[in-house]
Amino acid sequence: MGKCGDKSVSMNIKGGCRAGVRFRPWRKYAVIYRSVLMENLQYAANVAMGFFTYFVFIFIFIKLWGYMYRMPGELIAGYTKEQMIWYVMMTEMMLFGSNAASVAGEVARDIRGGNIAYLMNKPYHYTLYILSKYSGEWSIRLPMYALLAVVIGTVMVGPLPCFRLTAVPAMAVCVVMGLTIHAVFKLCISLFSFWIEDARPFQWLYDKLILVVGVMFPVEIFPRTLQPLLKMTPIYTVCYGPAKLIVDFSPEKCLEILAAQILYLTAGGVLMTLIYRRGVKKLYVNGG
Amino acid sequence: MQAITVENLSKTFRVKRKEKGMRGSLKAIIHPRTEEIRAVNGVSFSVDKGEMLAFIGPNGAGKSTTIKMLTGILYPDGGRVEVMGIDPTKKRRQLAYQIGTVFGQKEQLWTHLTPYDNFRFFGAIYDLSDRETEKRIEELSERFTLRDFIDTPVRNLSLGQRIRCEIVASLIHKPKVLFLDEPTIGLDPVVKENVRALIKQMNREEHTTIFLTSHDVGDIEKLCRRIIIVNDGQIVLDDSVEQLKNHYQDKMAADIHACNNEHGKAEKNGESLNVSLEEILVDIYRSEEDG
Repeated sequence: MGKCGDKSVSMNIKGGCRAGVRFRPWRKYAVIYRSVLMENLQYAANVAMGFFTYFVFIFIFIKLWGYMYRMPGELIAGYTKEQMIWYVMMTEMMLFGSNAASVAGEVARDIRGGNIAYLMNKPYHYTLYILSKYSGEWSIRLPMYALLAVVIGTVMVGPLPCFRLTAVPAMAVCVVMGLTIHAVFKLCISLFSFWIEDARPFQWLYDKLILVVGVMFPVEIFPRTLQPLLKMTPIYTVCYGPAKLIVDFSPEKCLEILAAQILYLTAGGVLMTLIYRRGVKKLYVNGG
Repeated sequence: MQAITVENLSKTFRVKRKEKGMRGSLKAIIHPRTEEIRAVNGVSFSVDKGEMLAFIGPNGAGKSTTIKMLTGILYPDGGRVEVMGIDPTKKRRQLAYQIGTVFGQKEQLWTHLTPYDNFRFFGAIYDLSDRETEKRIEELSERFTLRDFIDTPVRNLSLGQRIRCEIVASLIHKPKVLFLDEPTIGLDPVVKENVRALIKQMNREEHTTIFLTSHDVGDIEKLCRRIIIVNDGQIVLDDSVEQLKNHYQDKMAADIHACNNEHGKAEKNGESLNVSLEEILVDIYRSEEDG
């Protein structure tokens, strides 16, 4: 934590924070997060409207995998039927619970519509502002979908075999890291709106890749030759890794996933900053 | 002491051009055509600390582009800008602590939160301590009479109430320079008067430099002593409002005198000519249009 306010007034001006105030850079992002949380709490009931869609998806997958697994205890790609369904429920929970609209649509709209001009002239980093908003959004949605997933899973599939309750905090960290990496990559794509008219086709490609390879099916379902390649993509850190950890936890796997997530988050963060810095110089805002 | 210094500022945009119809759309895919538009072209001026300046011009003259370069949103292609001694292109976030912006046509408040929560939010954004923020909210809500609706969600406020809150949000960190872009747009005459009085009071008490762009002549007359008129990205006039009026009154008197002499009419001596600022501006804009 920097303390540019403690040194001198002139230091503060140079360092970019107010004079005489203890500089806590994280505070403003925490406040953005809290404001979104307060705003979204008013619409928590609206989140519940999506429960039906989630239920339909999960119901289809329960039936699908129920048909595929004919024998009790059978393994497909190393997963039991319960593990496979719980895997899909967890990845879908992350997808529904994160709703990356703010990092995808909102950023592109801000850039193309010129609204970014009114957000940039504040003393915060625009990309961190968006990520704080996104975190405030999933903080309401994700616990609601997690609860729904647990209820549906317990009632319709049965408890997850060998589930370790003590490992929940580690799992939660991996899920949150996964959601953040997902947001950073989607934000990178959205930032291309500085150069191109519409970044939506790229968002669509990324979303479909995540959906097919990481969300609907675990990586082990795909041919062995493809698996190392798939594990090198963000899919491993975004959804496959955290969901796999929930259905089949081991401390070694947890550390491996966390290490990969830290690597991806660092690389994604650097990429995001570079794209933003270059893009903002290309900003074109007209019309009043 | 100068709050704003602008020297030879320029900004060019590349705008896509497309021929009409489907054929034009297809042609634009194969041979995209762009055109350069000089939005700001060699603008130079300075603004003293505590001064209230009207920066006006017809639509598309380059006013907003200039404001955006002064606030660090757009990067100039040429020239030099300094606001409170800070180069906005290099230290935009540092500059943000020194300036406030109100864009009458854009909302910066979070509509689902109350003004109070919004002010707390902006206080934290500008690194104010909770105590400082509370004190400032108290002070400004008293001055801007916000007490009756400070706990009502912004989405439920009237336009006049919202604009007052927008101004307060921009003032929460005691900015040295306040950029006002059409602050009274859409307001009724009474609310307009109130907003102008509050801006004036704030300038008087806190010595805030005001940089105003507005199409409302009332805003200019009631608030500013100095006026800069831009057109086609260039400054066409930089003078005091008083001087401008006097100059036009003299000019009109001379025109009438010449006209009367031409038609052999007797001149009415001592009759004062009352030319409104609006008429003067229309005349300047028209003569600029005619080249």
